[in-house]
Amino acid sequence: MIHRVAVIGCGKIADQHIVALQRVPNTKVVAVCDREMLMAMQLAGRFKIDAVFGDAIEMLQTAEPSSVHITTPPQSHFALARDSMRSGAHVYVEKPFTVTASEAAELVNVATEEERVLTAGHNYQFTLEMCRMRRLVGEGFLGGNPVHAESHWSYDLGDISYVGPVLGNPNHWVRQLPGQLLHNILSHGIARLAEFLDDDAEVVSLAHQSEKLRQLGGGEVVDELRALFRDGKGTTGYFCFSTQMQPGISQLRLCGIRNSLLVDQLSGTLTRHTPRNAKSYLAYVIPPLRDALQGVRHAVANVMDFLRGELYQDFGMRELMARYYEAIETGGPPPIPYREIVLTARLMDDIFRQVAQEPECERIEEAAVNPVSA
Amino acid sequence: MEKDSKILITGASGFLGRFVVQRFIEEGYSNLRCFVRPSSRMEALEAVVKQRGAHVETVRGDLLSREDCARAAEGIEIVCHLAAGFDKSFAGAFMNSALTTRNLFEAFAERGKPRRFVNVSSFAVYSNLGMRRGAILDEECPLESEPQLRFDAYGFGKLEQEKIVRELGAAHRIPYVILRPGTVYGPGKTGLTGRIGIDTFGFMIHIGGSNQLPLTYVENCADAIVIAAGRDGVDGKAFNIVDDETLTSREFLNAWKQKTKRWFSFPLPYGLAWLLCSLWEDFSVRRKGQLPPAFNRRRCAAEWQGNRFVNKRAKEELGWRPRVGVDEGMARFLAQFDRKVSR
Repeated sequence: MIHRVAVIGCGKIADQHIVALQRVPNTKVVAVCDREMLMAMQLAGRFKIDAVFGDAIEMLQTAEPSSVHITTPPQSHFALARDSMRSGAHVYVEKPFTVTASEAAELVNVATEEERVLTAGHNYQFTLEMCRMRRLVGEGFLGGNPVHAESHWSYDLGDISYVGPVLGNPNHWVRQLPGQLLHNILSHGIARLAEFLDDDAEVVSLAHQSEKLRQLGGGEVVDELRALFRDGKGTTGYFCFSTQMQPGISQLRLCGIRNSLLVDQLSGTLTRHTPRNAKSYLAYVIPPLRDALQGVRHAVANVMDFLRGELYQDFGMRELMARYYEAIETGGPPPIPYREIVLTARLMDDIFRQVAQEPECERIEEAAVNPVSA
Repeated sequence: MEKDSKILITGASGFLGRFVVQRFIEEGYSNLRCFVRPSSRMEALEAVVKQRGAHVETVRGDLLSREDCARAAEGIEIVCHLAAGFDKSFAGAFMNSALTTRNLFEAFAERGKPRRFVNVSSFAVYSNLGMRRGAILDEECPLESEPQLRFDAYGFGKLEQEKIVRELGAAHRIPYVILRPGTVYGPGKTGLTGRIGIDTFGFMIHIGGSNQLPLTYVENCADAIVIAAGRDGVDGKAFNIVDDETLTSREFLNAWKQKTKRWFSFPLPYGLAWLLCSLWEDFSVRRKGQLPPAFNRRRCAAEWQGNRFVNKRAKEELGWRPRVGVDEGMARFLAQFDRKVSR
């Protein structure tokens, strides 16, 4: 069975999709589509794809793809995913999945009605270390479900190739999202927590604009966020997004009643934290040595993974795609439970609502102290 | 070209752009419009304009917006298109180079009074893979046919940009000139060109020390652009812009290191660099991009093979002469590091 794949949206992320698909067996990209035909043509030209379209409906009717990857700005995700599923295609939607949680829930309903597989581009959930973490949690390493989870996610404003155009243009599609800059970046960090929180999770969040962004002419855009979560079972979570922290950070910490785990996605490591039984001054010696030993093991494991061809950029995306196509072939469960996709969208909705309701006068006062420089 | 011709300069607040504006003002052109991004820093451009007491119109916008391009092109007779898109991704480079140029050119055709479109391109469009070391690289050399294999998004964007200019120039019957500057250096640019070597690993691997660099001092390059805007009889032609006098890669690096006290560097013979790049490329192909093909034969040849560069066509047909020699150019370039130290 060959999956006939179409890609809608031919911007930067589309390249990653097509490259990742080259590692997924039984897939062939048969069509690309973009409202800007020049963008579709440059992608098709570079990857030797025959069919190029400027209209998604025409593409669905003509190319009849069995699977559609949607890599457009999020404002169009809902309609494109719905139309694709109604036309009989399975759908992979880049993050952020939709603009609102209600759209996310509606897409899940359509997928269920049409018996199509639907997934969100939360590919960082499927990196090697995240897969290993999931296996350990499943084996009971934590002593049950985590009692607390922490997700840290950072973005460096030093590379203004992304943020520059966003700040410079109030009509940029990122500025039109309810959560603006945060909306386009947070999904991965929130999805990590949604995996371990129940659907009734509540959130309390605070956000502000960093000095760096203010200097770049950030306008009303905020780029520092802290959020606390708690669900009905008492599982708590903490999320920290920052553009200021150096060095950059991308971590998930899971605390259980027996042991804890720390996933570091920048170094591709999974560190186990077990009770420290050393007595007296040995408590200052034995645990650091054990940590050092783990560090050596991580380095060796990463080298071995590289040599085996398992460690590479975009492993997470390839793994998510492989599981998505496996679900299509076997009729098994989708790679990301729909509950998690909708919960991620709902938590983001709540965060952006709270951020929008923060008193604006505080920000104005801050701006008066630190005037914006052009 | 009349001194009151309406001239649009894109990328006007950039490293090269402000010198182009300065040169136009010095030449007495009085109807200049500068197109800059809303997020652009304007201090340097404003200083140029203020110092010379000129009136220059500024349009802030995004060349990806057709509306912004229409505003910028209204009534314009000459476009000097310097805005460059630096993006690591091929799609991003295409968007910021080719798509923006399409928008600008079409707006020029519709809203302007087109007389000439001056497109500033780059040496990155050439391929010297089939050339011998030391051979002359001029405007007749082949263009890169596989920028993706070279892993060069910038070059891809510039190639597609040139293609768009040629196609739309023919379709709208608008005269155009393409300028391909070599390595532009001068105050305002502090980094080293990739032609010196590789700094990916935190130190400089210096390749091909005896290679001639295709240097052009920023003011010389700006002169060429201003001349190309008004010169008769050069429509549809491409010109390489390199100065008469230049330096070897080793001379440039040594001068830079002496001034900045930065970089540990060690030399790598070109033959060895070629071998390592070949191994890297082959490994990348065999492992389906597990290592991105950042180092490959095409790039190795383009950056470090060592060719000779000539400016015969620009001098003969444009009548361009580099005013600033390499000694004076390097002195001005290196002086910026003194200012930084004294601050």
